[in-house]
Amino acid sequence: MFGISDPAIWLVYLLSIICTIGSIIFGIIYWNKDDKNDKED
Amino acid sequence: MENFYTYLIVMIYFLSIAFLGYLGYKKTHSSKDFLIGGGDMNPIVMALSYGATFISASAIVGFGGVAATFGMGIQWLMFLNMFVGVVIAYIIFGRPTRRIGAKLKVSSFAEFLGAYYQSPKIRIFVATIIFLCMPLYAAAVLRGGVFCMQQVFGISFDLSLLIFTIIVASYVMAGGMKGVMYTDAMQAVIMFVCMAILIFGVYKSLGMGFSEANSALENMKDKVPESLAAVGHQGWTAMPQWGSQQWYTLVTSLIMGVGIGCLAQPQLVVRFMTVNSTKKLNQGVAIGCVFLLITVGVIYHVGALSNLYFMEYDGKISIDMVNATDKIIPYFVGRVMPTWFLTIFMLCILSASMSTLSAQFHTMGAAAGSDIYGVCSKNRPEKKDKMTTMIRFAVLISILISYLICYLLGESSDSPIIAISTSLFMGICASAFLPAYFCALYWKKATKEGAYASMWVGVIITIILLIFVHAKEASALGICQALFGTDVLISNGMLKFVDPIAIAFPLSCITIVVVSLLTRKKEENQIQK
Repeated sequence: MFGISDPAIWLVYLLSIICTIGSIIFGIIYWNKDDKNDKED
Repeated sequence: MENFYTYLIVMIYFLSIAFLGYLGYKKTHSSKDFLIGGGDMNPIVMALSYGATFISASAIVGFGGVAATFGMGIQWLMFLNMFVGVVIAYIIFGRPTRRIGAKLKVSSFAEFLGAYYQSPKIRIFVATIIFLCMPLYAAAVLRGGVFCMQQVFGISFDLSLLIFTIIVASYVMAGGMKGVMYTDAMQAVIMFVCMAILIFGVYKSLGMGFSEANSALENMKDKVPESLAAVGHQGWTAMPQWGSQQWYTLVTSLIMGVGIGCLAQPQLVVRFMTVNSTKKLNQGVAIGCVFLLITVGVIYHVGALSNLYFMEYDGKISIDMVNATDKIIPYFVGRVMPTWFLTIFMLCILSASMSTLSAQFHTMGAAAGSDIYGVCSKNRPEKKDKMTTMIRFAVLISILISYLICYLLGESSDSPIIAISTSLFMGICASAFLPAYFCALYWKKATKEGAYASMWVGVIITIILLIFVHAKEASALGICQALFGTDVLISNGMLKFVDPIAIAFPLSCITIVVVSLLTRKKEENQIQK
């Protein structure tokens, strides 16, 4: 994958992309949501 | 003419910093403003400031050079920076830190731990460790910025040091956290833009796509020098050999040490207290991850690809071109990018240095002024009025100490103190602070005795391992050699290459659990009686 044969290396590139996409999705979903504990406080 | 434009751009950069520092000054009216920006900072500014503080010049130039020498295995550090340093830090640590911090009305990392465990002793201990260990670490970052400034203006080391220190000192002292975070945000944008341009430039010069370049680099594995192959190097697109010296260094020192050590860095933790709601932290997650992917990810990737470029044009690998890991990235950028880009790259390195340094100065000042002086003066009302002035004064003292260390070490010094102090600070943050910090957030059974004991275990074990066991620091310090006639006490096996964090951190975790359970039981028994 990605022109790299060592799984330990292409995996880190794949995980980094997944992590970035995941963080963007998280940001969009929770953009305007506060923690329940915040409201209680 | 080229020089004129370089000076002009750098002057505009410094004027922008002065303006943002002034803006911070105008908006700072209380010690809370000075310490945590009033607790209502913009989430984008917070996320960019966090990222810029995270990435120092050594992450770009130093670790970029490590990637050029040892290959893409260091991308695990980038992944951990993103996943642990942003996702876990913001969601698992940041959200409760902000909430508990606001509830306890605290404004610094030491105050957070002290207030949670209801122990001024813990607050003083944490603040003292910060105040004692950070100046050396700050001096290391300061040197990186000074060298960069020397190259831009062609002036002496001493003059660069003086100018650089005055610039950073002025906006930290005047603007406090607001000044620091506004400038950090601007510097983060510069770093981001610079790295985005760099990756396009490198691929353009290579004339290849992503996978094609990786394949070409993989085909170069027979070019690995024997000296590097002997310690586990298996090519620039492969992890080092399992259990080899290089594997232990990469996994325990770089990936675990830096990747996990970042969780309890006081200058990063305090940023969670600068926003007033959880949703602002949620908004920062994506910004932080994208920022790290582009800045750190690009420079590590480019570092590894530099071997491909040099092999094609010079018939040599990167480390053979300049013979020093730290010089590979600046040399490569100079070769592969157009002249106009070099000014932007200089600004990127200056930004990386200044953003990290300003956060360090601010954290040291807060530790000495707010935590140590604050507790010692017992927060008397008449002293409280003068608190902001006292913190500013403490920031000045911290800056002067860092300046003096850097000045005394000088330009050509190859003293190991800086490398040791950086390892020491990272090690102590992870080993001494992280277990107590995590338990404050998630384990209600943790007691102040347990927290205090784990902190002492973390500090003492880290220091012992650095002096007597970990080869890099122990041999440089020479204390083990002087006492026992050998560089390290345990020379057989791979223990001498295992970073102290890998040992001190678990021991510190065990200590807080065991001591907390024992002291809690004692407290419960006393209550029953």
